[in-house]
Amino acid sequence: MNGDVVLAVDNVSKSFGALAALSRVSFAVRAREVYSVIGPNGAGKSTLFNVIAGLHVPTSGRVAFGGADITGLEPQLINRRGLAKTFQITNIFPGISVYDNVRVAAQSRAPVSGRVASLWRSPDVEGPVTDLLSAFGLMARRDDLAQNLSHGEQRYLEICLALATEPTLLLLDEPTAGMTPGETKDATALIRQIAQRRGLTVLLIEHDMSVVMGISDRIAVLHFGEKIAEGPPEAIRNDPQVIDAYLGGVDD
Amino acid sequence: MSRPLPWWGWLIFAVLAALPLTPWMSRYYMLLAFDALLFGAVAMSLDLLMGYTGLVSFGHAAFFGLGAYSTAVLLERGVLSLWLCLGLAVVVVGAYALLVGYFATVRRGIYFALLTLIFAEVVYTVFRYTQAFGGSDGIQGLPAPQLWPGAAIDTPVRIYYLVLAYLLLAYLACRVVVRSHFGQVLVAIRENEDRARFLGYDVQRYKMGVCLISAVLTGLAGALYPGRAAYATPDLMHWSISGEFIIMVMIGGLGTLVGPIIGGAFFILLQEKVSSYVQWYSIVIGLVLVLIVLFAPHGLFGVRRAIRERGRREASASQEARARGEAPG
Repeated sequence: MNGDVVLAVDNVSKSFGALAALSRVSFAVRAREVYSVIGPNGAGKSTLFNVIAGLHVPTSGRVAFGGADITGLEPQLINRRGLAKTFQITNIFPGISVYDNVRVAAQSRAPVSGRVASLWRSPDVEGPVTDLLSAFGLMARRDDLAQNLSHGEQRYLEICLALATEPTLLLLDEPTAGMTPGETKDATALIRQIAQRRGLTVLLIEHDMSVVMGISDRIAVLHFGEKIAEGPPEAIRNDPQVIDAYLGGVDD
Repeated sequence: MSRPLPWWGWLIFAVLAALPLTPWMSRYYMLLAFDALLFGAVAMSLDLLMGYTGLVSFGHAAFFGLGAYSTAVLLERGVLSLWLCLGLAVVVVGAYALLVGYFATVRRGIYFALLTLIFAEVVYTVFRYTQAFGGSDGIQGLPAPQLWPGAAIDTPVRIYYLVLAYLLLAYLACRVVVRSHFGQVLVAIRENEDRARFLGYDVQRYKMGVCLISAVLTGLAGALYPGRAAYATPDLMHWSISGEFIIMVMIGGLGTLVGPIIGGAFFILLQEKVSSYVQWYSIVIGLVLVLIVLFAPHGLFGVRRAIRERGRREASASQEARARGEAPG
């Protein structure tokens, strides 16, 4: 059943000097599922994302997206194949308006982008930008500078930027980081709903267990750079090795 | 597409066009006005890099000087067509800009400023010590270029109109570029280069592109210079000239196009006026720059925007106050 696999991470290792951030991690994400990677701080989650999205070249192993090898490609090339990433630390365009933020993201998919004609033309992306801003409740703030948004709104804008590039696979790096429990709940529901409506595959990094358990189809657990478990939420919750290594006896 | 120029833009253009018709415009003032507009155009071209893309070039004097030498070499050999001079400047400056642009944008951060400076110093040194280009004397005593055979641009008024036309065309071109998709990507790169890459933009390509455009526009301005001065010297490429270009942009206001034009003109007029009274004019100019950085950090043109924004802030603050006043009732 390999035709179903959108993203295949195959034996990926990444070392920074003597530090092995990832050792021989393998997993496969299937079309339209929400797949989560959890693990304590320093487990290698963000390194894994950075390897997949093209910021780091893995020391060994390969990453395949949509059946093609993308190991070591530049981030902009990987993004153009339909893989978009959000950042754990909000990574937006602070000094321009909310609308302009999403517009420049959406325009990257216009046929004129990257051509000489883009020197005098500006493709119309009003429709998709407005849709995204509405979906995330940001329409009222479209003309405000992105840096003046609240933290929660900036987290949403972060997701809007990634979605505006019309990905088939969305990598979310702790999308609810810094949100209140109420906001987290809303955000989780919204992400799930948007992923379903757009037919997206989602790869999620989280440390907040309530988020992961509620949203994921399958979960992998990273511990000191190694995958120690993988399975549906109930299985992970009850896996003694996971409880030992990561949950530390937390019941629920 | 929006109007190419707002009404006040046409008004300023009309005033500038009428300037030579006024009785007090002597030869001296005509040439001073030429310099003001020419360096205004250069500062505007540099603003594409500094203000819109967030890249500070310390080597724009080389683009200017290469443009000037392109014209000088042709005029010296009796090739008087202005169009050939401009064409050669585009080719020479464009090729050099691609070379510098490539190496200066391979690495991020300070390297752009460093490498543009180093390349420009190399060009300066080459021209300074190459006898074929006249060494430190440069190429002197050049004839006037011609629009077409018989139509020499040989009076201050004619050369003034030439630079005014160039400034208008270059401004309109820059305005289209900064409002285009390309221009919006430049701003995105200025705001957050990493994020732009993760949205699928090849950042280095965009940086090289804007470097090329900025350099060619600067080189074209340089190519007009021998028409006014009848010479091209290596001093035009000295690093201190690049520094003055940066100051012009800062005085005028980053990322506004119009601001740097004002900044360039202001700088030239200030320098000329102050230096005719005192030797230590650069102290005065430095002081003016410090005052602008302290009290008008967005430049002379930015003052307009600051006033508008203050008005908006006060309006929204009074609205909020009103809302608060009604709430308890």
